[in-house]
Amino acid sequence: MKKNDNNKTGNNKAGKGVTKLPSMAVNVAGLKLSNPVMTASGTFGYGLEFAPYLDLSRLGGVVVKGLSPKPRPGNPGPRIVETPCGMLNAIGLQNVGVDAFIEEKLPKLRKVKTRVIANIFGESVADYVLVAKKLDGARGVHAVEINISCPNVKKGGMSFGVNPKEAARVVRAVRKATALPVITKLSPNVSDIAEMARAVEEAGSDVISLINTIPGMVIDIEKRMPVIARGIGGLSGPAIRPIAVRMVNEVYNAVSLPVIGIGGIMNASDAIEFMIAGASAVQVGTASFVDPQAAEKVVDGIADYLVRHKMSAKKLTGSLQK
Amino acid sequence: MDSITSKILYNEEVAPGYFRIGLEWKGVLVLPGQFVMLRVSDSLDPLLRRPFGIYKVLNPKWVKSAGGYRGSGIELLYSVVGRGTIRLSRRVAGDVAGLLGPIGNGFPVPEQSRNKEQKVIMVAGGVGTVPFYLLADLLGADSALLVGARSKEVLALVKDFRPLKCKVAISTEDGSVGAKGLVTDLLKEEIAKGGPSVVYGCGPLGMLKAVAEVSESLGVDSFVSLERSMACGIGVCLGCAVKGTEHAARPGRPPEYVMVCSDGPVFKSSEVEWSRL
Ligand SMILES: Cc1cc2nc3c(=O)[nH]c(=O)nc-3n(C[C@H](O)[C@H](O)[C@H](O)COP(=O)(O)OP(=O)(O)OC[C@H]3O[C@@H](n4cnc5c(N)ncnc54)[C@H](O)[C@@H]3O)c2cc1C
Ligand SMILES: Cc1cc2nc3c(=O)[nH]c(=O)nc-3n(C[C@H](O)[C@H](O)[C@H](O)COP(=O)(O)O)c2cc1C
Ligand code: FES
Repeated sequence: MKKNDNNKTGNNKAGKGVTKLPSMAVNVAGLKLSNPVMTASGTFGYGLEFAPYLDLSRLGGVVVKGLSPKPRPGNPGPRIVETPCGMLNAIGLQNVGVDAFIEEKLPKLRKVKTRVIANIFGESVADYVLVAKKLDGARGVHAVEINISCPNVKKGGMSFGVNPKEAARVVRAVRKATALPVITKLSPNVSDIAEMARAVEEAGSDVISLINTIPGMVIDIEKRMPVIARGIGGLSGPAIRPIAVRMVNEVYNAVSLPVIGIGGIMNASDAIEFMIAGASAVQVGTASFVDPQAAEKVVDGIADYLVRHKMSAKKLTGSLQK
Repeated sequence: MDSITSKILYNEEVAPGYFRIGLEWKGVLVLPGQFVMLRVSDSLDPLLRRPFGIYKVLNPKWVKSAGGYRGSGIELLYSVVGRGTIRLSRRVAGDVAGLLGPIGNGFPVPEQSRNKEQKVIMVAGGVGTVPFYLLADLLGADSALLVGARSKEVLALVKDFRPLKCKVAISTEDGSVGAKGLVTDLLKEEIAKGGPSVVYGCGPLGMLKAVAEVSESLGVDSFVSLERSMACGIGVCLGCAVKGTEHAARPGRPPEYVMVCSDGPVFKSSEVEWSRL
């Protein structure tokens, strides 16, 4: 590690009281983050909802709820159920639609000093392209994250997320439609995650994020019916973390793109585990429900770790010892 | 709304399977009918916070301009039904617990909702008495609490209401206390006494549905406090959705679903699609 690898990015609140703070800044394929901690789509609303609980400007970035061309009402309830160390959800991608996001949410988000990543999805390649184009011209959006993997909607993401050719088709089209960095968010619901990663790398994705939720089911044994109205929901939370860490490591070894690790991160140790496995940055999801301040606490905890190990965030990535 | 780490002041069993827990929260402002999301333990299992109605405010002071009570803490009353509440029942004074809230709109308070002569009829199923204590205290003789329960546990639920001026009537399934039968029979009688009234309900879904139907058929407005599984409590996970009727639509939002945590938990009965619940 270079001696002068200290913080120059102005992220000085983390690791309070320490004079020489190792650099927390990461550059994820052109997306410059003050630290590696983002929030995961669908778990942080449109960002501003959390302003009463934490300092949004201390987060590396905020990934907003998935956006579609038109507003979507979502699925009937019950939509969620708790599981051992996790939860299942079948929200059905309820969202305000890309236009309302740009007109109503974005102007307020622009006032917050953080990176805004727009998560997008659609039911056809044309849908994805339409949303990506609209966001391309929108001031205050710093990257798009393509959700090719949402398991909730029958006609939606799944077909793209499980088939390398289909995934590549979406990525290629979105890549053409926007000048913003393109993050492709992978589904864990495949037999060979490395193959998926290579397919989206070839198609021009700048970054890969993973994992999305894992399809699961919970049954009410008295009624002999699924608890969630849709039957199947996406599993998230600490229960999925070891699977996610393994997949991040496989993708890190398979491609040369930066990887964003997601899945069951509850605290800084969990986040650090992902970075050692190969993640350049991480996203905090379900933890924000359990504790609305979770993401900011992860930032603090990573800073402490980096100080203790005299290491920059960049150096931590992929530092797994064999 | 705030997210704090609160000290447990007491946690004691008031009847078999029913506990009241006192939580320190200096300066808290509570509207009658609001709730909190409580972290029952620091463990990852159970993972999610649990929603509980605010029963009492400790050292309460009525703040007219806010339509709520300010105090030094809150008391919850909960029944032990599963993993989370079992854990909670084992916590002791001096422990700390994460608290998020106070959440939600609460029941309309008198100044906003009615003229002087209007009577508020509160209908509770079991531990559904919780959101009515502050209201009953406030409204006194202008209110009536009708409680439906299974059996004798109801005595513990109504005990705190006895010293208030609010009228209390009870029905139990086994007839061990009060009238034998359904709380909606009490409701019909209470409405039939005449005079303008409004009905507030909290309890199991089936009961709320019956309360809404009885009220509507007798030409009285009703409001219900709904329960849904919740993850966040702040309107972001979109997990606690219920189907709303056309005029429940809020500006700038797809009309179909309303969130129990951030749009409720109290809804006008006519704004809820009961057939879809
Ligand atoms: C706005 C709101 C206010 C509430 N206020 C109170 C209160 O003042 N006092 C009180 O005792 N309870 C209250 N509840 C219900 C309370 O949240 C649940 O009983 C509790 O979450 C159960 O947790 P558990 O881990 O013990 O049970 P679990 O193991 O999660 O479940 C055990 C049983 O309880 C049922 N259950 C789980 N969650 C709920 C829920 N949210 N509503 C209804 N049934 C549920 C399950 O279906 C299951 O049958 C309230 C719920 C809501 C949504
Ligand atoms: C309630 C809920 C809603 C979600 N909505 C989206 C979404 O709209 N788009 C998306 O790409 N991922 C969505 N996700 C997946 C998360 O972003 C994340 O990938 C997943 O939950 C795993 O991370 P976690 O275990 O930290 O929550 C959602 C997850 C949850 C729990
Ligand atoms: S509990 Fe998350 S939106 Fe209501």
